[in-house]
Amino acid sequence: MEEVFVNIGEIKVLTQEGRLVAVGLGSCVGLILYDALAKVGGMAHVFLPTNRKGGDNPHPGKFADTAVAAMVEQMTALGAQKRRLKAKMAGGSQLFSYGASVMDVGRQNVEALQRELQTAGIPLVASDVLGSRGRKLIFDVGTGQVLVFVIGQEPVEL
Amino acid sequence: MANTILVVDDTAFMRMMIKNVVQKHGYQVIGEAGDGEEAIAKYKELRPDLVTMDITMPKLDGISAIKAIMEFDPNAKIIVCSAMGQKAMVIEALKSGAKDFLVKPFEADRVIEALQKAVG
Amino acid sequence: MTYDRKQDEFRLDVLKELGNIGAGHATTALSRLLGNKKLTLVVPQAMIVGMQESMGLCGGPESLVGAIYIRVSGGLCGHMALLLPFTSVQSLLGYLLGATPQEFSDMELSTLQEVGNIVVTSYLNALAEMTNTVLYPSVPAVAVDMAAAVWSSILAGAEVADYITIVQTGFQTDAEIIDGTIAFIPDEEDLAKLLEALGMGEL
Repeated sequence: MEEVFVNIGEIKVLTQEGRLVAVGLGSCVGLILYDALAKVGGMAHVFLPTNRKGGDNPHPGKFADTAVAAMVEQMTALGAQKRRLKAKMAGGSQLFSYGASVMDVGRQNVEALQRELQTAGIPLVASDVLGSRGRKLIFDVGTGQVLVFVIGQEPVEL
Repeated sequence: MANTILVVDDTAFMRMMIKNVVQKHGYQVIGEAGDGEEAIAKYKELRPDLVTMDITMPKLDGISAIKAIMEFDPNAKIIVCSAMGQKAMVIEALKSGAKDFLVKPFEADRVIEALQKAVG
Repeated sequence: MTYDRKQDEFRLDVLKELGNIGAGHATTALSRLLGNKKLTLVVPQAMIVGMQESMGLCGGPESLVGAIYIRVSGGLCGHMALLLPFTSVQSLLGYLLGATPQEFSDMELSTLQEVGNIVVTSYLNALAEMTNTVLYPSVPAVAVDMAAAVWSSILAGAEVADYITIVQTGFQTDAEIIDGTIAFIPDEEDLAKLLEALGMGEL
């Protein structure tokens, strides 16, 4: 079966079958959109809530506020219907402790994506977010199964 | 009677290291603090003979804590133990009233020497 | 920000030299912390890499690492990290605490935090001296988790662009029990300032 890795800032879309995989989700969030009827699935590996530093943005998947729209566009081009899309997500953790000035980018990413999904009218049906552990996310587009892996723990189905 | 010490460092590991060294040489650790604010409060409460002070700490840094303690007690004897050994920082610490400046990682002998010198 | 290639190479050369001296101090500090254990420095690299490429800096993406992150402010703003493979974390803690940790309680994390503090701040002390400025390290943050998750969280905190300037140095003990990577990511806007401080601003 085809296994496609979704690196930071990327959006990948598959139809009918194959696995989408995001490795090393710390503060990043893996966002999954799925049209179960058309069997079109997409994954984005979101890095930051928004492009605060400005400049060109050739990677809409990198930012929460551009990822959802870009995913929907790519998925509808492959036969998905927006009104059938459902969302799941994992990540957005705060791995670091102690540091006084440590960024809480993970929480910002999660909240930004929740807002974007709500605006787009896409229901968020499951999520495994925040906390302090890194995650790996595997999405089987053929079956719709989503698994979340954390080091030293049994995988959890989302 | 043994000289009393307040150990200030944001990491529990470093407080333990310093405690081990000074206790072996007969000093008595009467308090520990993990940030500058706590250091000031503990100093006022415990009135130790000596203080070992870290610089980079949450809430309030060591330099500000030294200034506040010196204002409260101009006779306070504070030794800085910090990894931050840049010249400007050393000068600022000494100007603020610190008696000595030890750069981490330090040798046990140097710590004792500095403490002995400070109590005179 | 874009530079022409020759300028890029020159900048990287300067950064590499700074990395060399900074890391020299850092490893000396670590060696003293470890009872004067002999540490060998791997020649530093300065590079401009894509984000994905930089993921390889700390081993496999899913391998377990210990990481200490420090934000640098003052004359040259940027981000520094000490990355240690898990086996090195265990050896380090075993040496410093007298027992190999079975779990990570406050004492283990605090020890790791202090090691990072001493190593990174020593690096900064050398860098500050050379560039005639003062560099302030933040309180160190510490994490033990998947390499890619840890590193990408650092990059996100730094809000890096697609390409990152990194100065990287590796070190190892003779017995290869402890090895690790020191990474320095200067803020792009501050790179020019750095060169200026070194008297190379005109180039």
